[in-house]
Amino acid sequence: MSESEVTGSDIYLIPEFRFEKGKRYMVCARSGHGKTSLLNFIYGVSHRFDGSIEYRGFDSVGTLASSAARPMPEHQLLLLRRRALSLMFQDLCLFDELTAFENVQLKNRLTGFKTDAEIRAMLDTLLPSAKKDQPVRTLSLGQRQRVAAVRAMCQPFAFLLLDEPFSHLDHQSAAQVAELIARETEKQEAALIVTALDPTSLFHFDATINL
Amino acid sequence: MINKLQRRTLSPWQMAGYALTLLVGLVIVLLVLQIYADVRPLLTQQTDVFKNHAVTVSKNISLFKTANKEAIYFNDKELDSLESQQFVKSVARFTSAQFSVNAYINVPGGGRFSTDLFFESVPDRFLDVRPDAWLWDSASSFLPIIIPEEYLQLYNFGFAESQSMPVISQGMVEQISFNIVIRGNGQSRTFTSRIVGFSGKINTILVPDDFLQWANCRYGDAAAAPHDMPHPTPAAQRPSRLLVEFDDASDQRIPSYFENRGLNISQSELENSKMVFLFRLAMLGVFVIAVIIVVLSVAIIIMSMNLVVHKNRSLFLNLYAIGYSVPQIARYYQWLVSIITALDVVAAAIVAMLLRGLYVRRLSSMFATGGSGALLFVAAAVLCMALLVLCNCSVRRIVRKTVSQN
Repeated sequence: MSESEVTGSDIYLIPEFRFEKGKRYMVCARSGHGKTSLLNFIYGVSHRFDGSIEYRGFDSVGTLASSAARPMPEHQLLLLRRRALSLMFQDLCLFDELTAFENVQLKNRLTGFKTDAEIRAMLDTLLPSAKKDQPVRTLSLGQRQRVAAVRAMCQPFAFLLLDEPFSHLDHQSAAQVAELIARETEKQEAALIVTALDPTSLFHFDATINL
Repeated sequence: MINKLQRRTLSPWQMAGYALTLLVGLVIVLLVLQIYADVRPLLTQQTDVFKNHAVTVSKNISLFKTANKEAIYFNDKELDSLESQQFVKSVARFTSAQFSVNAYINVPGGGRFSTDLFFESVPDRFLDVRPDAWLWDSASSFLPIIIPEEYLQLYNFGFAESQSMPVISQGMVEQISFNIVIRGNGQSRTFTSRIVGFSGKINTILVPDDFLQWANCRYGDAAAAPHDMPHPTPAAQRPSRLLVEFDDASDQRIPSYFENRGLNISQSELENSKMVFLFRLAMLGVFVIAVIIVVLSVAIIIMSMNLVVHKNRSLFLNLYAIGYSVPQIARYYQWLVSIITALDVVAAAIVAMLLRGLYVRRLSSMFATGGSGALLFVAAAVLCMALLVLCNCSVRRIVRKTVSQN
């Protein structure tokens, strides 16, 4: 993005910004202003940025750093993605051929964090029960978004990154998802970073960041 | 689960194509190696003397030369010319005995059969047979002799047949002891002797080279001549026949060179060397083609993998994004390719073994063959390892390249 587009940002072009564990952050911006990019930088999907990102104090990971010049080595990145960071992608990144349950299971198998029963229970609270064993390609966009949210919670994390998680949900469904997410982040004492076009009142945020 | 996802990315036809081309290539590679290992002893046996592509060369005897015997000898200029040719590796001379030789055998009742003989010798490395008794030293009174196989055949199939005499075997001939008297330079000496071997290639009566050098010095005409007398050159040093070693017997310059100079060259021997050379060349050709087939089949699978990964790029990126590592993503394809490759190698080894059974049966009806199929299995194991390493590394590299493109 060009420099004019990021004017007035709370993150871009400032010397340092710190996300702290246990807090909830709302990242607000108009379309195309770098919300997804910010989460991708943090998650290590993209390294197209100036400066560097440091990951400090994770019990199992230690302090790691990532920058465009020195992207994080693959094993560290994977450790981070399995132990410390979880991202709910804006484009969901689900596997259409697999059922809702299998999609979640595929992620959960990496860490064995939840039992199959726990996964089913989480899906049951958000989806009509018949849907969880149907291939994801047969589900509506809103239903898929809920599957992606459940999947993001099926691993240990210190930061849960949600990229416009409620964009295809009505208020009631969004509230259900938000409640589940709030419960899980409290349980894991994790930070929450949620991106949205407009401020939302579904969570009690500690800080709102404008890009 | 990940297998379920990745299974859909593969086309059975691609896998079948890989399996089939690899199988064909492997069968040919293994079979060529095994045929070469099986046939090599026969080639060596048949062409031992000509393993360096050596042939006997003499001058053509014409009517003119019967009157002037000097013309059958090679002079220094001719020898130099021959030695300087690019296709000639080395030239060795036949040494002739420069003394008279008489062989006799005492028969019960006081009689004696005797005959005049001649001896020649060549350096030992040109011999096609090397009997244990082929040893001589000046203290020994035993003189081993090698005669051409044809002499015995001439007797058995010509003389014995027409005179109603019994035929005799090589073994029987080797049992017969007789005496040799050499005379010259006013001296004589008697040796006990025996035929110790039969040469299939060198058409003369051979004695050890060491013996002939020694005997020519002591009993030869040359020994009587003063040392400072340059002419005539002693006949022992004027060769009438040469053994010529070639680098490559199939060189096209060879026949024309000898023809132009009126030299007689043992064509059949040259042909034999040529055949062996061509056989080796053909085997090498088939082997190279087979290796190309194997390489192409590996190229097919690597290209197929590239295609699969590119067609399903988002699947691979998603798996990587949710935390799957490159080895985990590549594992399914690696297993599949490894299993196909290993099964192919085993199948190729079995097919090659069965085919070997067919030709060994035919070969053993013609020649005494030894050798086992062990080479085939060693080659199969080595090929299997190499292919597995190559395929696994390639698949992992393709996956890594795809997921780390961001």
